Amino acid sequence: MTSEHSQPTNPVVSQSSIQDTPDGRIPVGRTMPDEQPMLSVQNLKKVYHTDGGDIEAVRNLTFDLPKGQLACLVGPSGSGKTTLLKCISGLMAPSAGEVTLHGQKVTGPPKSMAVVFQEYGRSLFPWLRVAENVELPLKNQGMEKAARKEAVEQALEAVGLAHVPKSYPWQLSGGMQQRVAIARAVAYQPEVLLMDEPFAAVDAQTRADLEDLVRGIWKKLGVSVLFVTHDIDESVYLGERVIILSSSPTIIQEDVLVDLPAERDQLETRSSQRFAELRHHVYEQIQLAKKGFRPEEAAAMR
Amino acid sequence: MTYIRTSLHIVALPLILIFIWFLATLGEASFFVPTPQLLIETFFETWTSERFLSDVFPSLGRLMIGIALSILIGIVGGLLIGSFRWLRALLEPTLEFFRAIPPPVLIPVIMLLIGIGDEMKVSVIVLGAVWPILLNTIEGVRSMDEVLADTSRTYGMNRVNTVRYLILPSAMPQIMAGIRQSLSIALILMVISEMFASTEGLGFAIVQFQRSFAIPEMWSGIVLLGLIGVVLSFIFQLAERWILGWYHGLREIEQSA
Repeated sequence: MTSEHSQPTNPVVSQSSIQDTPDGRIPVGRTMPDEQPMLSVQNLKKVYHTDGGDIEAVRNLTFDLPKGQLACLVGPSGSGKTTLLKCISGLMAPSAGEVTLHGQKVTGPPKSMAVVFQEYGRSLFPWLRVAENVELPLKNQGMEKAARKEAVEQALEAVGLAHVPKSYPWQLSGGMQQRVAIARAVAYQPEVLLMDEPFAAVDAQTRADLEDLVRGIWKKLGVSVLFVTHDIDESVYLGERVIILSSSPTIIQEDVLVDLPAERDQLETRSSQRFAELRHHVYEQIQLAKKGFRPEEAAAMR
Repeated sequence: MTYIRTSLHIVALPLILIFIWFLATLGEASFFVPTPQLLIETFFETWTSERFLSDVFPSLGRLMIGIALSILIGIVGGLLIGSFRWLRALLEPTLEFFRAIPPPVLIPVIMLLIGIGDEMKVSVIVLGAVWPILLNTIEGVRSMDEVLADTSRTYGMNRVNTVRYLILPSAMPQIMAGIRQSLSIALILMVISEMFASTEGLGFAIVQFQRSFAIPEMWSGIVLLGLIGVVLSFIFQLAERWILGWYHGLREIEQSA
Protein backbone atom coordinates (compact mmCIF):
# COMPACT_ATOMS: atom_id res chain seq x y z
CA MET A 1 0.00 0.00 0.00
CA THR A 2 2.62 2.47 1.02
CA SER A 3 4.71 1.83 -2.05
CA GLU A 4 1.72 2.70 -4.20
CA HIS A 5 1.38 5.98 -2.39
CA SER A 6 4.99 6.95 -2.82
CA GLN A 7 4.85 6.28 -6.55
CA PRO A 8 1.77 7.96 -7.91
CA THR A 9 1.04 6.80 -11.42
CA ASN A 10 -0.56 9.98 -12.69
CA PRO A 11 1.16 13.37 -12.98
CA VAL A 12 -1.17 14.86 -10.38
CA VAL A 13 0.46 16.12 -7.21
CA SER A 14 0.80 13.07 -4.96
CA GLN A 15 -1.78 12.23 -2.31
CA SER A 16 0.69 12.66 0.47
CA SER A 17 1.57 16.24 -0.41
CA ILE A 18 -2.10 17.17 -0.37
CA GLN A 19 -2.40 15.61 3.08
CA ASP A 20 0.61 17.57 4.22
CA THR A 21 -0.86 20.79 3.03
CA PRO A 22 -4.59 20.83 3.52
CA ASP A 23 -6.30 23.02 0.91
CA GLY A 24 -3.04 23.03 -0.99
CA ARG A 25 -1.84 25.62 1.43
CA ILE A 26 1.83 26.46 1.43
CA PRO A 27 3.79 29.18 3.19
CA VAL A 28 3.07 32.72 2.01
CA GLY A 29 5.58 34.10 -0.50
CA ARG A 30 6.81 30.71 -1.55
CA THR A 31 10.36 30.61 -2.82
CA MET A 32 11.99 27.64 -4.44
CA PRO A 33 15.39 26.97 -2.89
CA ASP A 34 15.89 23.58 -4.60
CA GLU A 35 16.69 24.93 -8.01
CA GLN A 36 17.77 28.23 -9.46
CA PRO A 37 14.54 30.16 -10.02
CA MET A 38 13.93 31.70 -13.40
CA LEU A 39 12.39 34.85 -12.10
CA SER A 40 12.63 36.05 -8.56
CA VAL A 41 10.83 38.92 -6.89
CA GLN A 42 12.45 40.00 -3.62
CA ASN A 43 10.78 42.37 -1.15
CA LEU A 44 9.33 44.42 -3.98
CA LYS A 45 7.79 47.72 -2.94
CA LYS A 46 6.32 50.47 -5.05
CA VAL A 47 5.25 53.86 -3.78
CA TYR A 48 3.84 56.48 -6.12
CA HIS A 49 4.71 60.03 -5.21
CA THR A 50 1.81 62.31 -6.07
CA ASP A 51 0.89 65.88 -5.20
CA GLY A 52 -1.79 64.51 -2.89
CA GLY A 53 0.80 62.51 -0.94
CA ASP A 54 2.43 59.14 -1.32
CA ILE A 55 0.40 56.17 -2.45
CA GLU A 56 1.74 52.78 -1.50
CA ALA A 57 0.63 50.45 -4.28
CA VAL A 58 2.78 47.45 -3.49
CA ARG A 59 4.09 46.97 0.05
CA ASN A 60 6.21 43.86 0.11
CA LEU A 61 6.17 41.04 -2.37
CA THR A 62 8.45 38.04 -2.50
CA PHE A 63 8.01 35.05 -4.76
CA ASP A 64 9.86 32.94 -7.28
CA LEU A 65 8.80 31.67 -10.65
CA PRO A 66 10.65 28.45 -11.51
CA LYS A 67 11.53 27.57 -15.06
CA GLY A 68 8.58 26.30 -17.03
CA GLN A 69 5.89 27.09 -14.50
CA LEU A 70 2.54 28.68 -15.28
CA ALA A 71 1.59 30.79 -12.30
CA CYS A 72 -1.45 33.01 -11.99
CA LEU A 73 -1.48 36.19 -9.98
CA VAL A 74 -4.96 36.95 -8.83
CA GLY A 75 -6.14 39.77 -6.64
CA PRO A 76 -9.09 42.08 -6.03
CA SER A 77 -9.41 45.01 -8.39
CA GLY A 78 -7.07 47.81 -7.48
CA SER A 79 -4.61 45.43 -5.85
CA GLY A 80 -1.65 46.76 -7.79
CA LYS A 81 -1.47 43.85 -10.22
CA THR A 82 -0.51 46.05 -13.12
CA THR A 83 2.03 47.95 -11.04
CA LEU A 84 3.62 44.67 -10.04
CA LEU A 85 3.77 43.51 -13.63
CA LYS A 86 5.32 46.76 -14.77
CA CYS A 87 8.04 46.38 -12.13
CA ILE A 88 8.70 42.79 -13.13
CA SER A 89 8.87 43.63 -16.82
CA GLY A 90 11.35 46.42 -16.14
CA LEU A 91 9.02 49.15 -17.40
CA MET A 92 8.96 50.73 -13.97
CA ALA A 93 11.60 50.86 -11.27
CA PRO A 94 10.47 49.53 -7.88
CA SER A 95 10.82 51.84 -4.86
CA ALA A 96 12.56 49.08 -2.93
CA GLY A 97 13.45 45.45 -3.39
CA GLU A 98 14.39 43.89 -6.67
CA VAL A 99 13.42 41.61 -9.48
CA THR A 100 16.00 39.19 -10.80
CA LEU A 101 15.95 37.09 -13.92
CA HIS A 102 18.51 34.27 -13.95
CA GLY A 103 20.07 35.94 -10.94
CA GLN A 104 20.55 39.21 -12.81
CA LYS A 105 18.82 42.31 -11.55
CA VAL A 106 16.13 43.66 -13.87
CA THR A 107 16.72 47.36 -14.56
CA GLY A 108 15.00 47.64 -17.92
CA PRO A 109 12.90 45.37 -20.11
CA PRO A 110 14.93 42.12 -20.29
CA LYS A 111 15.59 40.49 -23.63
CA SER A 112 14.18 37.12 -22.73
CA MET A 113 10.84 38.43 -21.56
CA ALA A 114 7.69 39.17 -23.52
CA VAL A 115 4.58 40.94 -22.27
CA VAL A 116 1.01 40.57 -23.49
CA PHE A 117 -1.08 43.54 -22.42
CA GLN A 118 -4.77 43.70 -21.69
CA GLU A 119 -5.43 46.44 -24.22
CA TYR A 120 -4.77 44.46 -27.40
CA GLY A 121 -6.14 47.35 -29.46
CA ARG A 122 -3.42 49.59 -28.12
CA SER A 123 -0.53 47.16 -28.05
CA LEU A 124 -0.62 46.16 -31.72
CA PHE A 125 0.74 48.62 -34.27
CA PRO A 126 -2.34 49.74 -36.22
CA TRP A 127 -0.19 50.83 -39.17
CA LEU A 128 1.36 47.39 -39.56
CA ARG A 129 -0.36 44.31 -40.91
CA VAL A 130 -0.77 41.20 -38.76
CA ALA A 131 2.36 39.45 -40.06
CA GLU A 132 4.38 42.68 -39.81
CA ASN A 133 3.31 43.12 -36.20
CA VAL A 134 4.59 39.65 -35.36
CA GLU A 135 7.72 40.20 -37.41
CA LEU A 136 8.79 43.56 -36.01
CA PRO A 137 10.49 42.38 -32.77
CA LEU A 138 12.38 39.75 -34.79
CA LYS A 139 13.44 42.33 -37.35
CA ASN A 140 14.63 44.52 -34.51
CA GLN A 141 16.73 41.64 -33.23
CA GLY A 142 18.37 41.36 -36.63
CA MET A 143 17.01 37.95 -37.52
CA GLU A 144 17.51 36.84 -41.15
CA LYS A 145 14.60 37.49 -43.46
CA ALA A 146 13.94 33.83 -44.30
CA ALA A 147 14.10 32.77 -40.67
CA ARG A 148 11.81 35.64 -39.77
CA LYS A 149 9.25 34.62 -42.34
CA GLU A 150 9.22 31.09 -41.03
CA ALA A 151 8.97 32.15 -37.39
CA VAL A 152 6.06 34.47 -38.20
CA GLU A 153 4.22 31.76 -40.13
CA GLN A 154 4.72 29.25 -37.32
CA ALA A 155 3.57 31.69 -34.65
CA LEU A 156 0.45 32.65 -36.59
CA GLU A 157 -0.23 28.98 -37.22
CA ALA A 158 0.12 28.26 -33.51
CA VAL A 159 -2.57 30.80 -32.60
CA GLY A 160 -4.83 29.79 -35.48
CA LEU A 161 -4.40 32.94 -37.53
CA ALA A 162 -2.45 31.64 -40.50
CA HIS A 163 -5.20 32.86 -42.82
CA VAL A 164 -5.04 36.59 -42.06
CA PRO A 165 -1.37 37.69 -42.27
CA LYS A 166 -2.20 40.60 -44.57
CA SER A 167 -5.06 42.03 -42.54
CA TYR A 168 -4.65 45.02 -40.30
CA PRO A 169 -5.19 44.23 -36.60
CA TRP A 170 -8.16 46.58 -36.35
CA GLN A 171 -9.95 44.61 -39.04
CA LEU A 172 -10.03 41.62 -36.69
CA SER A 173 -12.24 40.83 -33.72
CA GLY A 174 -10.96 41.47 -30.20
CA GLY A 175 -10.14 37.83 -29.57
CA MET A 176 -8.25 37.58 -32.84
CA GLN A 177 -6.30 40.74 -32.05
CA GLN A 178 -5.21 39.27 -28.74
CA ARG A 179 -4.16 36.14 -30.64
CA VAL A 180 -1.93 38.33 -32.80
CA ALA A 181 -0.35 39.80 -29.67
CA ILE A 182 0.19 36.27 -28.34
CA ALA A 183 1.68 35.18 -31.67
CA ARG A 184 4.07 38.12 -31.52
CA ALA A 185 5.17 37.06 -28.03
CA VAL A 186 5.50 33.44 -29.12
CA ALA A 187 7.59 34.28 -32.18
CA TYR A 188 9.91 36.29 -29.95
CA GLN A 189 10.71 33.05 -28.08
CA PRO A 190 10.87 34.44 -24.57
CA GLU A 191 11.86 32.47 -21.52
CA VAL A 192 9.32 34.32 -19.42
CA LEU A 193 5.93 35.37 -20.71
CA LEU A 194 4.05 37.98 -18.70
CA MET A 195 0.37 38.39 -19.37
CA ASP A 196 -1.49 41.33 -17.89
CA GLU A 197 -5.19 40.44 -17.75
CA PRO A 198 -5.01 39.53 -21.42
CA PHE A 199 -8.57 38.28 -21.72
CA ALA A 200 -10.37 40.84 -19.57
CA ALA A 201 -11.70 42.64 -22.63
CA VAL A 202 -12.90 39.68 -24.72
CA ASP A 203 -16.22 37.84 -24.50
CA ALA A 204 -16.63 34.68 -22.40
CA GLN A 205 -16.57 32.13 -25.22
CA THR A 206 -13.51 33.63 -26.85
CA ARG A 207 -11.92 33.75 -23.46
CA ALA A 208 -12.30 30.00 -22.97
CA ASP A 209 -10.65 29.38 -26.35
CA LEU A 210 -7.81 31.73 -25.52
CA GLU A 211 -7.25 30.08 -22.15
CA ASP A 212 -6.79 26.73 -23.83
CA LEU A 213 -4.54 28.41 -26.38
CA VAL A 214 -2.29 29.75 -23.62
CA ARG A 215 -2.14 26.34 -21.92
CA GLY A 216 -1.27 24.73 -25.25
CA ILE A 217 1.47 27.21 -26.08
CA TRP A 218 2.90 27.04 -22.59
CA LYS A 219 3.15 23.27 -22.78
CA LYS A 220 4.62 23.31 -26.26
CA LEU A 221 7.25 25.95 -25.63
CA GLY A 222 8.10 25.22 -22.02
CA VAL A 223 8.17 28.92 -21.14
CA SER A 224 7.54 30.26 -17.68
CA VAL A 225 4.27 32.15 -17.68
CA LEU A 226 3.11 34.70 -15.15
CA PHE A 227 -0.54 35.31 -15.82
CA VAL A 228 -2.21 38.22 -14.07
CA THR A 229 -5.97 38.10 -13.82
CA HIS A 230 -8.87 39.20 -11.66
CA ASP A 231 -10.90 36.18 -12.72
CA ILE A 232 -10.76 33.48 -10.04
CA ASP A 233 -12.02 30.64 -12.26
CA GLU A 234 -9.52 31.56 -14.89
CA SER A 235 -6.64 31.57 -12.43
CA VAL A 236 -7.51 28.09 -11.12
CA TYR A 237 -8.20 26.68 -14.57
CA LEU A 238 -4.98 27.99 -16.10
CA GLY A 239 -2.39 27.87 -13.40
CA GLU A 240 -0.23 25.28 -11.78
CA ARG A 241 -0.13 27.69 -8.96
CA VAL A 242 -2.22 30.68 -7.91
CA ILE A 243 -0.64 33.56 -6.07
CA ILE A 244 -3.34 35.51 -4.28
CA LEU A 245 -2.64 39.17 -3.71
CA SER A 246 -4.11 41.23 -0.90
CA SER A 247 -5.85 44.54 -1.42
CA SER A 248 -3.61 47.59 -1.81
CA PRO A 249 -0.94 48.13 -0.42
CA THR A 250 -0.29 44.74 -1.89
CA ILE A 251 1.36 41.78 -0.25
CA ILE A 252 0.96 38.10 -0.98
CA GLN A 253 -2.07 36.78 0.79
CA GLU A 254 -1.60 33.18 -0.11
CA ASP A 255 0.27 30.97 -2.52
CA VAL A 256 -1.81 28.00 -3.64
CA LEU A 257 -0.62 24.97 -5.61
CA VAL A 258 -3.18 23.84 -8.15
CA ASP A 259 -3.15 20.05 -8.19
CA LEU A 260 -5.46 19.61 -11.16
CA PRO A 261 -4.48 17.21 -13.96
CA ALA A 262 -2.08 18.61 -16.53
CA GLU A 263 -4.57 17.94 -19.31
CA ARG A 264 -7.29 20.46 -18.72
CA ASP A 265 -10.60 20.68 -20.42
CA GLN A 266 -13.12 23.48 -20.20
CA LEU A 267 -15.96 21.04 -19.43
CA GLU A 268 -14.27 18.26 -17.47
CA THR A 269 -11.88 20.31 -15.41
CA ARG A 270 -14.31 23.05 -14.55
CA SER A 271 -16.90 20.54 -13.35
CA SER A 272 -14.45 18.45 -11.32
CA GLN A 273 -14.70 18.44 -7.57
CA ARG A 274 -11.11 19.53 -7.01
CA PHE A 275 -11.63 22.53 -9.27
CA ALA A 276 -14.64 23.52 -7.19
CA GLU A 277 -12.66 23.18 -3.96
CA LEU A 278 -9.75 25.24 -5.22
CA ARG A 279 -12.03 27.84 -6.70
CA HIS A 280 -13.92 28.00 -3.42
CA HIS A 281 -10.71 28.47 -1.52
CA VAL A 282 -9.33 31.17 -3.78
CA TYR A 283 -12.68 32.94 -3.84
CA GLU A 284 -12.79 32.94 -0.05
CA GLN A 285 -9.31 34.41 0.13
CA ILE A 286 -10.15 37.13 -2.37
CA GLN A 287 -13.25 38.02 -0.37
CA LEU A 288 -11.08 38.26 2.74
CA ALA A 289 -8.64 40.44 0.84
CA LYS A 290 -11.43 42.75 -0.25
CA LYS A 291 -12.52 43.16 3.37
CA GLY A 292 -8.99 44.23 4.19
CA PHE A 293 -7.77 41.06 5.83
CA ARG A 294 -4.00 41.14 5.98
CA PRO A 295 -2.00 37.98 6.69
CA GLU A 296 0.79 39.83 8.47
CA GLU A 297 -1.69 41.32 10.94
CA ALA A 298 -3.40 37.97 11.39
CA ALA A 299 -0.02 36.41 12.11
CA ALA A 300 0.75 39.12 14.69
CA MET A 301 -2.58 38.51 16.42
CA ARG A 302 -1.93 34.81 16.74
CA MET B 1 -22.87 55.79 -61.91
CA THR B 2 -21.55 57.06 -58.56
CA TYR B 3 -18.46 58.15 -60.45
CA ILE B 4 -20.52 60.42 -62.69
CA ARG B 5 -22.44 61.75 -59.71
CA THR B 6 -19.27 62.66 -57.80
CA SER B 7 -17.80 64.42 -60.78
CA LEU B 8 -21.08 66.30 -61.22
CA HIS B 9 -20.92 67.37 -57.59
CA ILE B 10 -17.41 68.66 -58.11
CA VAL B 11 -18.12 70.76 -61.21
CA ALA B 12 -21.67 71.88 -60.39
CA LEU B 13 -20.86 74.97 -58.33
CA PRO B 14 -18.01 76.22 -60.57
CA LEU B 15 -20.30 75.93 -63.61
CA ILE B 16 -23.08 77.87 -61.86
CA LEU B 17 -20.65 80.58 -60.78
CA ILE B 18 -19.21 80.91 -64.28
CA PHE B 19 -22.71 81.12 -65.68
CA ILE B 20 -23.67 83.92 -63.28
CA TRP B 21 -20.44 85.66 -64.16
CA PHE B 22 -21.27 85.20 -67.87
CA LEU B 23 -24.72 86.74 -67.39
CA ALA B 24 -23.36 89.65 -65.34
CA THR B 25 -20.84 90.61 -68.01
CA LEU B 26 -23.26 90.21 -70.93
CA GLY B 27 -24.08 93.92 -71.35
CA GLU B 28 -21.43 96.61 -71.41
CA ALA B 29 -18.44 94.86 -69.85
CA SER B 30 -16.49 96.62 -67.13
CA PHE B 31 -12.88 97.34 -67.96
CA PHE B 32 -11.82 95.75 -64.73
CA VAL B 33 -13.86 92.54 -65.06
CA PRO B 34 -13.28 90.54 -68.25
CA THR B 35 -15.92 88.17 -69.65
CA PRO B 36 -15.38 84.43 -69.08
CA GLN B 37 -14.61 83.88 -72.77
CA LEU B 38 -11.96 86.62 -72.79
CA LEU B 39 -10.44 85.30 -69.58
CA ILE B 40 -10.14 81.74 -70.86
CA GLU B 41 -8.61 83.02 -74.08
CA THR B 42 -6.15 85.20 -72.19
CA PHE B 43 -5.36 82.41 -69.78
CA PHE B 44 -4.07 80.09 -72.48
CA GLU B 45 -2.38 82.91 -74.36
CA THR B 46 -0.57 84.17 -71.31
CA TRP B 47 0.50 81.02 -69.52
CA THR B 48 1.18 78.48 -72.25
CA SER B 49 3.83 80.60 -73.93
CA GLU B 50 7.33 81.34 -72.69
CA ARG B 51 5.83 82.69 -69.47
CA PHE B 52 5.42 79.14 -68.29
CA LEU B 53 9.16 78.64 -68.33
CA SER B 54 10.12 82.14 -67.21
CA ASP B 55 7.52 82.68 -64.44
CA VAL B 56 5.43 79.63 -63.55
CA PHE B 57 8.24 77.10 -63.57
CA PRO B 58 10.56 79.03 -61.20
CA SER B 59 7.65 79.79 -58.89
CA LEU B 60 6.59 76.16 -58.70
CA GLY B 61 10.20 75.12 -58.17
CA ARG B 62 10.60 77.44 -55.19
CA LEU B 63 7.22 76.36 -53.86
CA MET B 64 8.18 72.69 -54.01
CA ILE B 65 11.60 73.24 -52.44
CA GLY B 66 9.99 75.40 -49.74
CA ILE B 67 7.37 72.76 -48.97
CA ALA B 68 9.92 69.95 -48.99
CA LEU B 69 12.23 71.84 -46.63
CA SER B 70 9.33 72.75 -44.35
CA ILE B 71 8.26 69.12 -44.14
CA LEU B 72 11.81 67.93 -43.50
CA ILE B 73 12.67 70.58 -40.90
CA GLY B 74 9.24 70.38 -39.30
CA ILE B 75 9.27 66.61 -38.88
CA VAL B 76 12.90 66.24 -37.80
CA GLY B 77 12.67 69.21 -35.44
CA GLY B 78 9.30 68.05 -34.15
CA LEU B 79 10.57 64.54 -33.47
CA LEU B 80 13.52 65.92 -31.50
CA ILE B 81 11.57 68.54 -29.56
CA GLY B 82 8.72 66.13 -28.90
CA SER B 83 11.03 63.40 -27.66
CA PHE B 84 13.05 65.38 -25.13
CA ARG B 85 11.19 67.16 -22.39
CA TRP B 86 14.08 69.49 -21.58
CA LEU B 87 14.39 70.55 -25.21
CA ARG B 88 10.68 71.27 -25.32
CA ALA B 89 10.84 73.34 -22.14
CA LEU B 90 13.81 75.22 -23.56
CA LEU B 91 12.43 75.92 -27.02
CA GLU B 92 8.67 76.12 -26.85
CA PRO B 93 8.23 79.71 -25.58
CA THR B 94 10.71 80.99 -28.16
CA LEU B 95 9.08 79.02 -30.93
CA GLU B 96 5.71 80.52 -30.02
CA PHE B 97 7.27 83.96 -30.40
CA PHE B 98 8.72 83.29 -33.83
CA ARG B 99 5.57 81.61 -34.97
CA ALA B 100 3.57 84.69 -34.06
CA ILE B 101 5.60 86.90 -36.40
CA PRO B 102 3.90 87.17 -39.80
CA PRO B 103 6.59 86.04 -42.27
CA PRO B 104 5.93 88.84 -44.84
CA VAL B 105 7.31 91.42 -42.42
CA LEU B 106 10.55 89.47 -42.35
CA ILE B 107 11.05 89.80 -46.09
CA PRO B 108 12.94 93.14 -45.97
CA VAL B 109 15.17 91.80 -43.20
CA ILE B 110 15.86 88.55 -45.01
CA MET B 111 16.60 90.53 -48.17
CA LEU B 112 19.27 92.44 -46.30
CA LEU B 113 20.72 89.27 -44.83
CA ILE B 114 20.69 86.84 -47.72
CA GLY B 115 19.91 88.96 -50.77
CA ILE B 116 17.01 88.91 -53.19
CA GLY B 117 17.59 85.60 -54.94
CA ASP B 118 15.80 82.29 -54.73
CA GLU B 119 17.25 81.66 -51.27
CA MET B 120 15.31 84.60 -49.90
CA LYS B 121 12.03 83.42 -51.44
CA VAL B 122 12.46 79.84 -50.30
CA SER B 123 13.41 81.08 -46.80
CA VAL B 124 10.22 83.13 -46.59
CA ILE B 125 8.13 80.12 -47.61
CA VAL B 126 9.86 77.88 -45.06
CA LEU B 127 9.63 80.48 -42.29
CA GLY B 128 5.87 80.53 -42.67
CA ALA B 129 5.09 76.97 -43.65
CA VAL B 130 7.28 75.13 -41.16
CA TRP B 131 5.21 76.00 -38.07
CA PRO B 132 2.08 73.92 -38.51
CA ILE B 133 4.22 70.88 -39.34
CA LEU B 134 6.66 71.46 -36.50
CA LEU B 135 4.05 72.07 -33.84
CA ASN B 136 1.79 69.26 -35.01
CA THR B 137 4.72 66.84 -35.03
CA ILE B 138 5.61 67.82 -31.46
CA GLU B 139 1.99 67.30 -30.45
CA GLY B 140 1.86 63.99 -32.30
CA VAL B 141 4.99 62.69 -30.61
CA ARG B 142 3.71 63.75 -27.22
CA SER B 143 0.32 62.11 -27.59
CA MET B 144 1.94 58.72 -28.15
CA ASP B 145 -0.11 55.82 -26.82
CA GLU B 146 1.46 54.59 -23.59
CA VAL B 147 0.66 50.92 -24.11
CA LEU B 148 2.21 51.01 -27.57
CA ALA B 149 5.31 52.68 -26.18
CA ASP B 150 5.52 50.06 -23.41
CA THR B 151 5.12 47.31 -25.99
CA SER B 152 8.04 48.65 -28.00
CA ARG B 153 10.16 48.91 -24.88
CA THR B 154 9.44 45.37 -23.75
CA TYR B 155 10.55 44.10 -27.15
CA GLY B 156 13.77 46.06 -26.78
CA MET B 157 13.25 48.17 -29.90
CA ASN B 158 16.36 50.17 -30.75
CA ARG B 159 16.29 53.91 -31.36
CA VAL B 160 16.13 53.81 -35.15
CA ASN B 161 13.34 51.24 -35.19
CA THR B 162 11.46 53.07 -32.47
CA VAL B 163 11.40 56.22 -34.59
CA ARG B 164 10.72 54.34 -37.81
CA TYR B 165 8.02 51.97 -36.61
CA LEU B 166 6.56 53.65 -33.53
CA ILE B 167 7.00 57.39 -33.18
CA LEU B 168 6.78 58.50 -36.80
CA PRO B 169 3.73 56.47 -37.82
CA SER B 170 1.94 57.23 -34.58
CA ALA B 171 2.46 60.98 -35.08
CA MET B 172 1.63 60.75 -38.78
CA PRO B 173 -2.06 61.74 -38.57
CA GLN B 174 -1.10 65.00 -36.87
CA ILE B 175 1.86 65.53 -39.18
CA MET B 176 -0.37 65.21 -42.23
CA ALA B 177 -2.86 67.68 -40.75
CA GLY B 178 0.05 70.09 -40.28
CA ILE B 179 1.25 69.60 -43.84
CA ARG B 180 -2.22 70.34 -45.17
CA GLN B 181 -2.20 73.73 -43.42
CA SER B 182 1.33 74.41 -44.56
CA LEU B 183 0.49 73.92 -48.23
CA SER B 184 -1.83 76.91 -48.38
CA ILE B 185 0.55 79.05 -46.31
CA ALA B 186 3.40 78.11 -48.66
CA LEU B 187 1.38 79.13 -51.70
CA ILE B 188 0.52 82.50 -50.19
CA LEU B 189 4.13 83.15 -49.23
CA MET B 190 5.37 82.07 -52.64
CA VAL B 191 3.32 84.89 -54.19
CA ILE B 192 4.21 87.47 -51.56
CA SER B 193 7.93 86.71 -51.72
CA GLU B 194 7.83 87.40 -55.47
CA MET B 195 6.26 90.78 -55.03
CA PHE B 196 9.46 92.20 -53.55
CA ALA B 197 12.48 93.02 -55.69
CA SER B 198 11.76 90.27 -58.18
CA THR B 199 12.23 89.93 -61.91
CA GLU B 200 10.26 86.74 -62.46
CA GLY B 201 7.67 84.49 -60.88
CA LEU B 202 3.92 84.28 -60.68
CA GLY B 203 3.57 86.92 -58.01
CA PHE B 204 5.85 89.26 -59.95
CA ALA B 205 3.90 88.68 -63.17
CA ILE B 206 0.53 89.36 -61.56
CA VAL B 207 1.74 92.60 -59.99
CA GLN B 208 3.28 93.65 -63.27
CA PHE B 209 0.04 93.01 -65.18
CA GLN B 210 -1.85 94.98 -62.60
CA ARG B 211 0.48 97.96 -62.84
CA SER B 212 0.37 97.95 -66.62
CA PHE B 213 -3.45 97.71 -66.63
CA ALA B 214 -3.34 94.31 -68.35
CA ILE B 215 -6.48 93.42 -66.43
CA PRO B 216 -7.52 90.11 -68.10
CA GLU B 217 -3.92 88.87 -67.80
CA MET B 218 -3.89 89.79 -64.11
CA TRP B 219 -7.12 87.84 -63.54
CA SER B 220 -5.77 84.87 -65.43
CA GLY B 221 -2.78 84.83 -63.07
CA ILE B 222 -5.11 84.73 -60.12
CA VAL B 223 -7.02 81.84 -61.69
CA LEU B 224 -3.74 80.02 -62.22
CA LEU B 225 -2.89 80.44 -58.53
CA GLY B 226 -6.24 78.98 -57.62
CA LEU B 227 -5.66 76.03 -59.92
CA ILE B 228 -2.22 75.41 -58.43
CA GLY B 229 -3.84 75.36 -54.99
CA VAL B 230 -6.44 72.83 -56.14
CA VAL B 231 -3.80 70.58 -57.74
CA LEU B 232 -1.66 70.76 -54.58
CA SER B 233 -4.55 69.76 -52.40
CA PHE B 234 -5.44 66.94 -54.79
CA ILE B 235 -1.90 65.56 -54.70
CA PHE B 236 -1.94 65.90 -50.94
CA GLN B 237 -5.17 63.93 -50.66
CA LEU B 238 -3.75 61.12 -52.77
CA ALA B 239 -0.62 61.01 -50.63
CA GLU B 240 -2.65 61.12 -47.44
CA ARG B 241 -4.89 58.28 -48.51
CA TRP B 242 -1.83 56.20 -49.22
CA ILE B 243 0.12 57.10 -46.07
CA LEU B 244 -2.79 57.17 -43.65
CA GLY B 245 -4.88 54.35 -45.10
CA TRP B 246 -4.60 52.48 -41.82
CA TYR B 247 -5.75 55.54 -39.87
CA HIS B 248 -8.90 56.13 -41.89
CA GLY B 249 -9.76 52.44 -41.74
CA LEU B 250 -9.29 52.39 -37.99
CA ARG B 251 -11.38 55.54 -37.52
CA GLU B 252 -14.18 54.14 -39.65
CA ILE B 253 -14.33 51.00 -37.53
CA GLU B 254 -14.20 52.95 -34.27
CA GLN B 255 -17.03 55.19 -35.39
CA SER B 256 -19.25 52.36 -36.58
CA ALA B 257 -18.73 50.45 -33.33
